[in-house]
Amino acid sequence: METVYRFPPEKRMAEVHIIGQIVGASGFPQNSLFCKWGLQAGCAWKLLSGLKDGQTQVDNPVIKDMAYWSHPIDIHYATKGLQGWPKLYIQVWHQDSFGRNELYGYGFCHIPSSPGTHEIQCVTWRPLGTWQEQLSQMFVGGGPQLKHSDLIYTGADRYRLQTVAMGKVHLQLSIILRNFDQYGVEY
Amino acid sequence: MFTGKPSVFLLMVNGQIESADFPEFDELYCKYSYVYGHDWAPTTGLEEGISQITSKNRDCNQHFVWNFPMEITFKSTNPFGWPQIVVSVYGADLFGNDVVRGYGGVHVPTTPGRHKRTIPMFVPESSSKLQKFTSWLMGRRPEFTDPKVVAQGEGREVTRVLSQGYVTISFNIVTKDLKKLGYDSIPTNSHNPVLSDV
Repeated sequence: METVYRFPPEKRMAEVHIIGQIVGASGFPQNSLFCKWGLQAGCAWKLLSGLKDGQTQVDNPVIKDMAYWSHPIDIHYATKGLQGWPKLYIQVWHQDSFGRNELYGYGFCHIPSSPGTHEIQCVTWRPLGTWQEQLSQMFVGGGPQLKHSDLIYTGADRYRLQTVAMGKVHLQLSIILRNFDQYGVEY
Repeated sequence: MFTGKPSVFLLMVNGQIESADFPEFDELYCKYSYVYGHDWAPTTGLEEGISQITSKNRDCNQHFVWNFPMEITFKSTNPFGWPQIVVSVYGADLFGNDVVRGYGGVHVPTTPGRHKRTIPMFVPESSSKLQKFTSWLMGRRPEFTDPKVVAQGEGREVTRVLSQGYVTISFNIVTKDLKKLGYDSIPTNSHNPVLSDV
């Protein structure tokens, strides 16, 4: 059984503010992209305000090297313990001119645990099918997707999966922490 | 005078909308406004503004320069709803109509000091080629009814946009009493501003 350190209940709860944007994505084969994102945190964490998942707009850039979403993120968590520090997981999808959606990548990154503004580049990967599936994917699109999306941010059952690297998602997140020094937490 | 623990903190923003980079267009002006949460209120300064119309320099500099000042101070009890600046850029099309060239937004930086942000600008895309042609002809491009939609996270999954330029904004941020209320927003490796490499 894992030892979980919880803050003594009579002190004020520690709070984390995550303020920033999912800026955009680069390095993908095509550029008409959108992103579904979500935040996952442990059971000691409570969401006080803000949306903890969402979907960005679809961007079709004129300047072809990067797709821009500028999707704002403003989330306020309160926590009783350090375990289960929030993780941001993303799914990048491509929307073609016919309106069909194709999965382009999964990725996750931990929310930074130190205050200040952080520029984060989240790498992504896509499941690789058999060579027949790869051949049909080249012509028709589509391709395998994960059945359970929690595999994006957990490492438990990954050893059976074969994947290929895809592009990067750029994030700019500012973190404000409150009351952590009361508990002797150093960052 | 010692007045006990403060209940609000202040955020002072001094900055300017410096310049923009739109390779395909000329003669643009921009409008800015702030979007903030329920716990925030502006105390002094202007919440909105419209800039001058600027053109690209024919010889060398292919940027649009506005050098448009922004000064505002907010007070708040909660960092949730941190202010975002929303910028919309407009210009004249071939027929002389005023059309939107881009919307963009960014959060005001949370750490004190000098910051520069280059934000991408995007326009909503027409849903069909026919609509694209008629909107070009009539001068009524697709636009957002309220530019503040750019600052919201909900309801964006149904919009298709085209990103076509950048705007550079510089900020100077000062906060008051954020630390006294227990909030820590300053990165740990910059506590001593005197020692910095030149």
